[in-house]
Amino acid sequence: MNKVIGHTNSLCPKCLRTIPATKIAEDDKVYLIKECPEHGTEKVLIWKGVEDYLDMKRYASVPVRPAKVAVKETGNCPNICGLCPDHIQNTCLVVMEITNGCNLKCPLCFASANERYRFNPSLEVIRGMYQTILDYVEHPICVQISGGEPTIRDDLPDIIRMGKEMGIDHIELNTNGVRLADDIEFLKNVKKAGVDTLYFSFDGLQGEIYKQTCGRDLLDKKLKCIENCEKVGMGITLVCVVSPNINLDRVGEIIDFAKSKVPTVKGVHFQPLAYFGRFPITPKDSDRVTIPDLLREIEEQTKGELRVDNFIPTSCANIHCDAKSMSVVMEDGSLFPLTSRALGPPKDTSTIANKTRKEIADLWRFVEDSLIIDEEDDKSNEWGDFVDRAKTNYLTVSTMAFQDAWTSETERFANCCIHTVTPDGKLIPFCLFNINSQDGKTLYRHEMWAKFSEK
Amino acid sequence: MQVTIPGDVKELVAKRGLKESDIVDVVNTAEKEKKYLKKGNDALAKKRIGDIMVYVMCDLSGKGTAVVKTAYSHKMNLGKVVNLMSESEWKTADGKPVSDGHIEVEYMTVRRNAPALVVPETGDAFLEEYLAVKTIAAAEGLFEKKRA
Repeated sequence: MNKVIGHTNSLCPKCLRTIPATKIAEDDKVYLIKECPEHGTEKVLIWKGVEDYLDMKRYASVPVRPAKVAVKETGNCPNICGLCPDHIQNTCLVVMEITNGCNLKCPLCFASANERYRFNPSLEVIRGMYQTILDYVEHPICVQISGGEPTIRDDLPDIIRMGKEMGIDHIELNTNGVRLADDIEFLKNVKKAGVDTLYFSFDGLQGEIYKQTCGRDLLDKKLKCIENCEKVGMGITLVCVVSPNINLDRVGEIIDFAKSKVPTVKGVHFQPLAYFGRFPITPKDSDRVTIPDLLREIEEQTKGELRVDNFIPTSCANIHCDAKSMSVVMEDGSLFPLTSRALGPPKDTSTIANKTRKEIADLWRFVEDSLIIDEEDDKSNEWGDFVDRAKTNYLTVSTMAFQDAWTSETERFANCCIHTVTPDGKLIPFCLFNINSQDGKTLYRHEMWAKFSEK
Repeated sequence: MQVTIPGDVKELVAKRGLKESDIVDVVNTAEKEKKYLKKGNDALAKKRIGDIMVYVMCDLSGKGTAVVKTAYSHKMNLGKVVNLMSESEWKTADGKPVSDGHIEVEYMTVRRNAPALVVPETGDAFLEEYLAVKTIAAAEGLFEKKRA
């Protein structure tokens, strides 16, 4: 017994043609069903829990369109993107790739690093990308420098410094941490140049996990990188790709590990494996982790310390794209969650992207030091201690389910707030930029980077 | 009781998101029930209005008139008395002693102790302005921020 609960457009995973898709509820799961005139019908699992899927709608924000867009043409989403006037959400984070080279060759890589061409833009091209960001995005502006592996560029500190001098407010560095583990001086230079946090790939606490995700055991390097960050005072978000075939049964211990490394570790961001870039299989539903799957595992493996109910959509991206929790790490090491669905959706969502940018830039800036009172000994104030502790001893646990050609929905593309900047002056939703067909064809990534690669 | 709110106080309470009508309500209710604290000519009254506790401090030196000196509020819930320390300079409206002490203060299931003025006889407690507009406001903001 199934029921139609919505309609959208999607992509054919074989040819990337835009095709109509129907959302159906069946056996308490939500599926996309779509038919390509050339390649036939696909049925793809996108959510578990129909009521939960529909309930997320109460978190939908009042969309605020970008003030300016680079593309004038409308009605052709997702084929003509840059953004266009049909895009309904402004940018909260810009991903800027500065190389497609990497010091690893992972079997799983969203960027298909080290393939096809060599994209290593000059400082002038990078200056142009920063300028595009400044032209189109409102302050505070948050940029994630990404790749490939950005630390393979010796001029990375110059690139970071340039961004800060041009007026970028917050820069995070997306890294595998290998060079930062081996070369603490380089880490110091990167920090001195202005990197605010690391977005650090960390898939688990077993060497075997890295053999599957990265092709070799990188656990020692990962731990060394964290140790170096502790030494130099660099904040980290642990970014963990999650797959039922690799590490879904290990998410609880990753959260436990993160707690033990607070305040160096600021958060854990789980990314259910999306099948774009380089991936070894054609995914079946059983190869997928939906957001509800992940949250249930977190609740079970943390023994209820974090519950499904503590995770709420950010309301910045599409409501079915992400979920986050925020907790204070208490004196006894337990998590005290500050987020709960019982609190209801946000009251004012009209400036949600602006709020998200501020939160990325400095989560706790709103707690001014002047508000904390030093009490006399006999007037001890535990609420003051709580607020003081919350400023440094906190942990975000979040997730974002990126879309691939199988799970794609144009309404999610149009609502996206994480955008990749390109050398030709465009901002393109991150998933859309990376999506490729079963045989490797992309709509944007390879075409764009090949155009600007070394000849 | 005639309640007067001077211009600078009106500005302050507006900034704190309080309604003048609520301030008048707090003073009149306290006067009617004779439930407030006194220190010289100053009186400190409180009343739960909706989901906030509103406090008003006024000068009662003018006969039949209360001149509001300040007003503040918090959303947290006041709980049981944790301890009593020395007697404070405040008295109840009928002249009974008021102590400095600590009470439990609860917000969104988090319960922590905070300093307060406590009436030992009844266990009734008042948070002082310095605490309500600073630490308690910061803690409430921390929770509220997560919703925003």
